[in-house]
Amino acid sequence: MIGLDVGSTAAKMVWIENGDVKFRITSTHNWKELVEGIDGDDIISTGYFRKSVPHRASLTELTAAIYGVRHYFPDAQVIVDIGGQDTKVIDVRNNNFVINDKCSAGTGAFLEFVANYFRIELNELGSMHAIAKRVPDINNTCGVFALSEMISQLVAGYSKEEVIAGMHYAFARRISHMIPQTQKVVLIGGTVKNKGMVAALRDVMNIDVLIPDEPQIINALGALNYYP
Amino acid sequence: MQNHKFTISNRNPVKKIGITALVPPELIFSCGVAPFDVNNVIPASKKYPGNKLCAWTAIWKDMLVKKEINVDSLVVVAGGDCHNALVDGQKAAMSGIPTHFFFYPFDGDTSYMESQLHRLSRFLGGIKSPEKFKEIGELKKQGQLLDKKRCNGKLSSSDAFSILISFSDLAGDPAGFSRAISALEEKDIDIRNRVALIGVPPIFHDFHETAQSLDLQIVFDELPYEFIRHGGGDVQEIARDYCDYTFARPLEFRIDFLKKELKRRRVDGVIHYTQFACHHMLEDEVLREKLDYPLLTIQGDLPGNTPQQVKLRLEAFREMLDRI
Repeated sequence: MIGLDVGSTAAKMVWIENGDVKFRITSTHNWKELVEGIDGDDIISTGYFRKSVPHRASLTELTAAIYGVRHYFPDAQVIVDIGGQDTKVIDVRNNNFVINDKCSAGTGAFLEFVANYFRIELNELGSMHAIAKRVPDINNTCGVFALSEMISQLVAGYSKEEVIAGMHYAFARRISHMIPQTQKVVLIGGTVKNKGMVAALRDVMNIDVLIPDEPQIINALGALNYYP
Repeated sequence: MQNHKFTISNRNPVKKIGITALVPPELIFSCGVAPFDVNNVIPASKKYPGNKLCAWTAIWKDMLVKKEINVDSLVVVAGGDCHNALVDGQKAAMSGIPTHFFFYPFDGDTSYMESQLHRLSRFLGGIKSPEKFKEIGELKKQGQLLDKKRCNGKLSSSDAFSILISFSDLAGDPAGFSRAISALEEKDIDIRNRVALIGVPPIFHDFHETAQSLDLQIVFDELPYEFIRHGGGDVQEIARDYCDYTFARPLEFRIDFLKKELKRRRVDGVIHYTQFACHHMLEDEVLREKLDYPLLTIQGDLPGNTPQQVKLRLEAFREMLDRI
């Protein structure tokens, strides 16, 4: 049996081998590579494309996140899943959830937009943030206008690295407004591999932020765990 | 706000009175004219207004001004329910439609309500057929029976909704509407998740079918229930009864009513539909705090099918109800 999470930008497959969590990741459009030779009856699917891929059963990524996070953090209170196209906050304590899918600010798409502007790879954002000496204020809550503000800060003399750090703080503030009162949050989703964004979120929220080793595969693992 | 799935031919040349929210249909019919809920056509309209806050009011305003909805006159519920209607109603009035502004009392003052009903009656030309009060009352009893059947799994929630929502104007033709009610087929529905739908009705025309397909059976529609539970034999009686129209009263009054209704219907969870730019959105946090049920908030903006993002939320809510 495998857990398959086909999201908006990446497809993730998880299986258990000798008690260890194993996984493979590819781009969404290449999801078929992952399941080559695997019977649909052995797949539990989740993610945007959960109903478009072969599956024995499917579940939403919100439920999958809860089951996946429990594998590593059984007492998780609040889960924040920062995906490519939306951000989901799940309050496990009272079975509540909110989704931001109306605006790109606060989603992976916004970070991609910024990386494209600076002509850098997405995974370079975190290392550039680390060498910033100052953090300019970027207040706009709209992704497009935030970019205009970033350009203004570059004109004002801030370095590229500093502007990226400022953008991470703006991103973190946006996410923090979705998070309920809690002692700690668990962050999942491909976007949380960005250490600059996570550092900004820790600073803004001033709470414990837990991240599993492979935050991108948690929903696929949750799908697998949902059907034991 | 209606989403007709049935057609009633109405050959009576009676004057058509546009209404923008709940206006006692007993009184309108008794004045020898027929109500037409201008929200009727919106969910399936595919209209995307340019200058808007709430799409409901913006669309009916546009359609009235452009004569895509033809009414002889208009009654705008401008106090105690929809705040945007006050402005969009004035815009419709400026296009030349004879318009009356109706105000519910926030404090439930029956004498104020009675004076409002008398003013409305004068605008409509005065009461000519007082027997209509009783006739509409009988129809509303049928509506209550139908609501009960839906709650007991004898009617699908989408079939029930299509009729209940139309009780605001009874499709302008009480006799034809009564036949439409009788034509509804009973079913045996296995209700797995009993859900209440509170707030204004969704602007998506297939919302109830969508919820049903995801194993969420709506056993309570808050606003349509208001359409069937009020009435009376004369102006004085309806003034007393319509004072309890929960949407027009303080939030605590509405919450007390909701608590009783949700308990009576043994609901497992609550869906709170909010309309973009509607003041009712602000009530969400209070409803969440005061109603002790799993509560899903969804938001709609423009008319059409239920969007995928909303379906994801509904499915996740169902999974959550399954877990608890």
